[in-house]
Amino acid sequence: MAKLEHEIRDPIHVFIKLSSDERKVLNSRPFQRLRHIHQLAMTFLVYPGATHRRFEHSLGVMELASRIFDIVTNPNNVTDEIRRFVPEIAEESKRSYWRRVIRMAGLCHDLGHLPFSHAAEKELLPQGTTHETLTAKIIRSDEMCRIWNEMTPPLRPDDIVKLAVGPKEAAEIDPELQFTTWEDLLSDIIVGNAFGADRIDYLLRDAHHAGVAYGKFDHYRLIDTLRILPAPPADEGNGSANPEPSIGVEEGGVHAAEALLLARHFMFTQLYLHPVRRAYDIHLKDFLKEWLENGKFSTDVEEHLQVTDNEVMAGILKAARNEHANGHDAAKRIVERTHFRCLYEWNPDDIAVNPEAGNQIFEAAATEFGEPGVRRDEYSKTSPTDFPVKAKDERIISFTSVSDILRNALLQRVDLVFIDPCYIQRAREWLSDNRASIITPPTEDDDE
Amino acid sequence: MNRLKKAAIITRLARKMRDKDSWCGETHLQKGLYLAQELLDVPTAFEFILYKHGPFSFGFREELGKLRADGLLDLEPQPRPFGPRFLTTKRSKEIEARFPRTIDNVDEKLNFIAGKLGGKGVSDLEKLATALFVTKNYPDCSSITMRAEKLHELKPHVSISDAQTALEQISEFQTLAQDLMN
Repeated sequence: MAKLEHEIRDPIHVFIKLSSDERKVLNSRPFQRLRHIHQLAMTFLVYPGATHRRFEHSLGVMELASRIFDIVTNPNNVTDEIRRFVPEIAEESKRSYWRRVIRMAGLCHDLGHLPFSHAAEKELLPQGTTHETLTAKIIRSDEMCRIWNEMTPPLRPDDIVKLAVGPKEAAEIDPELQFTTWEDLLSDIIVGNAFGADRIDYLLRDAHHAGVAYGKFDHYRLIDTLRILPAPPADEGNGSANPEPSIGVEEGGVHAAEALLLARHFMFTQLYLHPVRRAYDIHLKDFLKEWLENGKFSTDVEEHLQVTDNEVMAGILKAARNEHANGHDAAKRIVERTHFRCLYEWNPDDIAVNPEAGNQIFEAAATEFGEPGVRRDEYSKTSPTDFPVKAKDERIISFTSVSDILRNALLQRVDLVFIDPCYIQRAREWLSDNRASIITPPTEDDDE
Repeated sequence: MNRLKKAAIITRLARKMRDKDSWCGETHLQKGLYLAQELLDVPTAFEFILYKHGPFSFGFREELGKLRADGLLDLEPQPRPFGPRFLTTKRSKEIEARFPRTIDNVDEKLNFIAGKLGGKGVSDLEKLATALFVTKNYPDCSSITMRAEKLHELKPHVSISDAQTALEQISEFQTLAQDLMN
C-alpha cells in the first residue's frame, strides 16, 4: 500500500512529516526551485556556515504553523468569548480544511523569492511588485491549481494566498482579498510580527547554520503557551471593549516570548544587519541592475522559475573575469572581496543632534567623493509594541505591563554609509574634521 | 515631504492628543493620524488598510518604531493590565521648532483631531475611523443606513445602531473639517 505520510529529516525540527498532497507541492517546480535560493543571500561570505536555502525553511514553517494551529484551536484552549468571534474554530470540517490550508500556505509562503532572497528586491522588481506578488501568482498558477483541485476537498488558492502573505501584502496584491477575523488570525500564525511560524523558524535555522548562539530560544514552551486572546485593554476608558482577538501568550510563556524577542534583537544586530553583509547586498544589487535585462527581474512566473542563485552566481563569476561585461565592477568586488567599507554607522550621539544624520553624511560624502563611490543602507524594524498575555488569574493583560525589560530591546535600526575602499582613509579624516557641520539639522529654509 | 517634517507633525499630534487626555497608545495615534490625513489633508501620506480595530497603517507603525529609535517618542509602560502609552520627548520639541511653517500649516487641524478624539477610548476610535473608511471607500453606499450596514458587515462586533451613530458623527466632522480647511 502506498505511504500516505512521509518524513524528512531536519536539523531544527528533527523530522518533518508531510502528506502525499503536500509532497506533490514539494515535488513541484516552484518548490524545488527553493533548493537553489539561499535563505540569507550572500551572508555566507561573512558567516561561512550560512549556506542554507529557502527549501528547508519553508518545510520548517509548514511544520511550525500546524503545531501552532493545533495548540491555539484546541478546544481546551479556546474560550466562549473567542468562539463568538471566530465561530469557525468550533466547526470540525472548517478546522480540518483550514489546517490543510495553513500547512500549504507555510510551505508556499516563499515561492516568489528572487535569487538571493531579499537583497534589493524593491529596486529589482517593477514598482508595486514584491516577492509576495510573485508568491501569489505562483499559488494561483495553473501548475499549482492542479494540485489544489486534486485535493479532497479542493483548496481555494486565494485562501492559501491570504495566509501565505498576510493582510498587509494582500492589500497591495489584490484589494479584493478581504480578510475575516479568522483569516487574520491564521495569517498571523504564519507571518505574524510577534509569534509567526516564519519568524520562529528563520531565527532558529539562521542561528543554527550561521553558528550564532543568540538566536536560540525555547520554542517548544513558547508554542505550548500560545493562545487566541482578546486584545488587552488599550486604555483605562474602554475596559475590555476592544475585543478583536489576536495571538497572545499565557503568562507561563512570557519568559519564552521574551527569549524570542531578545533572540530576534541579537540576530538582527549580529547577523542580519552586519555591515559587511549589507555591503555585499549593495554590490549584488549593483551587479543585478546591470546584468538583468532592463535592470529588473521578470514578473512572469515561467521566467521567474528559470532564475535561481546558481544562474546569478555563474553570471557574477563570468562578469568578474571580463572587464567589458555588464556588472563587472560589482562582480569583481564580490569575487575579490573588495567590498565597500563602512564610513558611518547610526549612533545615539549623532541621532541626538539630528535623526537624519546618516542621510546628511551620505549626501555630503557623495558630493565630496563622487556618487559612484558612496552608498547608503538605511533600515529599521520594530517588534510589535504589544500583544495580549493571559494572566494566571485569567485576566487579559498587556505584555508591556509584565515585561518592561524589553521596552527598548525591540527596536532594530541601521543607517550605514559605505565608501569605496580606495577613499576610506581620506573619508574617515574628512568625516572626523567636518562631522559637526555636516549633521547640523536643516531648517525649513534649507529645504526650499 | 521630508522625513523630519513628517516626524514633527506626528510628534505634534501625539503631544496634542495627550494634552487632551488621550491615552495615546498606538491605536489612538493610528486613528488620530488616519482622521488627520483623510479628513483634513494633513500631508503625511501613509497607506491605511482596514485591519483589526479599523484602518491601520503598517508604514506608520514602522515610522513610530523609527521615532522611538531616534529618541523623538518614548513608550511608557503602564501597570497591569493596560497597554503602553506614547510620550513625546524634549528632542521632538526641538525638531518641531525647526519647521515653524510646516507646523503652522497643520496646527489647527491637529487641534481639531486632538479635541475631537482626545477623550475617546479605542473602541470608539475604531468605530469612528471605520466609519470614515466606509464613507470614503464605499461610495455606492449612498445613505447612512447603507453605510451602517456595510460597517457592520466589515466589523460584525459593531452593531448597526453604533455604526449609525459613528457615521453621523463622521458626517458632522466632515462638515467641520471643510469649514476649517476653507
